[in-house]
Amino acid sequence: MVDVSQGTAPEIGAPTASARSRLSAYALPIFLVALIAVSGIVSPAFLSGSNISNMLLQVAPLGIVVIGQAFVIILRGLDLSVASVMATAAVIATGFSGQNSDVLPIVLIAVGIGVATGLVNGLLVTKRSVSPFLATLATMIVLQGFRFAYTQGAPSGNVPPLFRQIGSATWHGLPYNMMLMLVLAVVFGVLLSRSRFGREVYITGGNPTTARLLGINADRVTVIGYIISGALAAVAGLVLSGYVGIVDNWVGRGFELDSIVAAVMGGISLSGGRGGIAGGLFGAAILVVVFNAVLLFGLPVQLQIIIKGIVIVLAAAFYVRRRV
Amino acid sequence: MSAIAPAQRPTRLRNNQGILVVAALLVALLIFGAFISDRFRTLSNILNILEQSTGLALVSLGQTLTILTGGIDLSVGSLISLLSTLTSGLIAGKASMVLPVAIGVLLLGLLVGIANGLLIIWLRVHPLIVTLGMGAVLQGIVLLYSLGPAGAVPPGFNYLAYGRLLGVPVGAIVIVVLFLLVGLFLRYARLGRYIYAVGDDEAGARLMGLPRARVLLTVYGFSGFCCGLAAIYLTSRFSVGQPYTGLNYTLASITPVLVGGTLLSGGKGGVLGTLLGVYLISLINNVLNFMDVSTHYQLIAQGLIVIAAVSIYVEKKKRV
Repeated sequence: MVDVSQGTAPEIGAPTASARSRLSAYALPIFLVALIAVSGIVSPAFLSGSNISNMLLQVAPLGIVVIGQAFVIILRGLDLSVASVMATAAVIATGFSGQNSDVLPIVLIAVGIGVATGLVNGLLVTKRSVSPFLATLATMIVLQGFRFAYTQGAPSGNVPPLFRQIGSATWHGLPYNMMLMLVLAVVFGVLLSRSRFGREVYITGGNPTTARLLGINADRVTVIGYIISGALAAVAGLVLSGYVGIVDNWVGRGFELDSIVAAVMGGISLSGGRGGIAGGLFGAAILVVVFNAVLLFGLPVQLQIIIKGIVIVLAAAFYVRRRV
Repeated sequence: MSAIAPAQRPTRLRNNQGILVVAALLVALLIFGAFISDRFRTLSNILNILEQSTGLALVSLGQTLTILTGGIDLSVGSLISLLSTLTSGLIAGKASMVLPVAIGVLLLGLLVGIANGLLIIWLRVHPLIVTLGMGAVLQGIVLLYSLGPAGAVPPGFNYLAYGRLLGVPVGAIVIVVLFLLVGLFLRYARLGRYIYAVGDDEAGARLMGLPRARVLLTVYGFSGFCCGLAAIYLTSRFSVGQPYTGLNYTLASITPVLVGGTLLSGGKGGVLGTLLGVYLISLINNVLNFMDVSTHYQLIAQGLIVIAAVSIYVEKKKRV
């Protein structure tokens, strides 16, 4: 009934328990499997080895962004700056000589920029009470301006071989970027669902007033959430640079909305305090499968956009209904 | 957070404070611009600024109302693209088609806006998500209709964008009249007061029995209608519509609203601030152009201005 974002009922999101979160944990995999089965029946090429490994390669960059986005959305925010951070990281990845010896400085600078962006986002949201939408929009635009000024619009293909390896090579059919995503998912999943900090994230997102009454430093938790999102977006940008090979100013374009769509589909509520990383990753996988199926069925590419629009609204409506 | 705030008037002092800050910035920029360039000082440059701000002003007007209710309309960019492509595509150079197509485009804009409102009411999903989804669907549809510029408009069609009435750009006059009407509506009409009430405290408004559905249908319908106006104006300005005409307007339309002191959480603000915000942004771009600042740095400047502006208004309520 009542808009939950106003926090009328003190709901402390339980990271582990609740039957509903159990349900969503099974509903999503079942939906994904059904989707793959139907796609495979309609078009046998869908289940070919090369197509599956292609889809796996595409999941990882989106999945890594979604992990960070999950923290921010559970904290009742959202991060529109992720795509800009990704593109900036990718531009930095090609900003050196293109040798493997550059990898360390590239990672440090890229993640540093991601962390700095997240810090600015977090401080604007907490200390200046700017709405997350606007704060992250503004940092997105500023970062975009710096990137354009730096590259002058010229694309570059100077990606170090190691990034190419991680971004597009596979080990017995399993892409390296997928392994990286899974490692990050486990690390941050444990942080979110098993640690004290994770509990503070759920409580702060579920009801900031409760958090304050419990003596949680909600501002600090929120700032750290945005920093995690920024840092992971930078990592995703580096991975993506290795996948696409040639980096221009628009690498990662659309990832801000796709990552939010994936999170919402995965049961991470925009009103905060609910959902988990596994759900978000299933959301990302479903999105990639849907896009791939649209292409493979020979349907017009435009339908991808239309389907994405319908899916996000229906997914959000599905979760609203279930809660009532 | 007050539990019940029936048709509460916007806090005068706070509202005026914001508007005064923006007005002061406008004056300061005008003086600054006059110092850096002779050409800036000319009347024709000022009229140019007014002329160029028409499109943004139209979209932001509708956006102001949705934000006043605590919502947002992220479908405006795609809707403008669709309507603008349809305008030139269906007119196809024939003067006789101008009027029917213009009416059709405005109606379609209104209907899409009402559809947004209905989905928000029925699905109980946040307007952010509903209009984001609607925007994606509309973008897909316009790309199915045409992948590039479509059709053409007859020669006289550009009067809307470049015509002058007594030396003043037609668009600028339309804008001032429209903003005045909507401003009066918000202040004196019953439904206008309800818009503030719903945005200020939705639960309270519901308890008071205020017609929330009618308010939402009105604001989203009006936002769609404004997109129709903007689409016709932009088609007139560029002589043709194409599927990405409106791309930048989604986010651009929100900036002047917030710069003008309307809070994203709803219930506070108004259209006068938005109009000043539109002029401020157009003026900033104009001054930066005269300073020969590259568009890259103009982006940075815009982002910083947004951050600065919203940092002035501290939001105490729910966040989007």
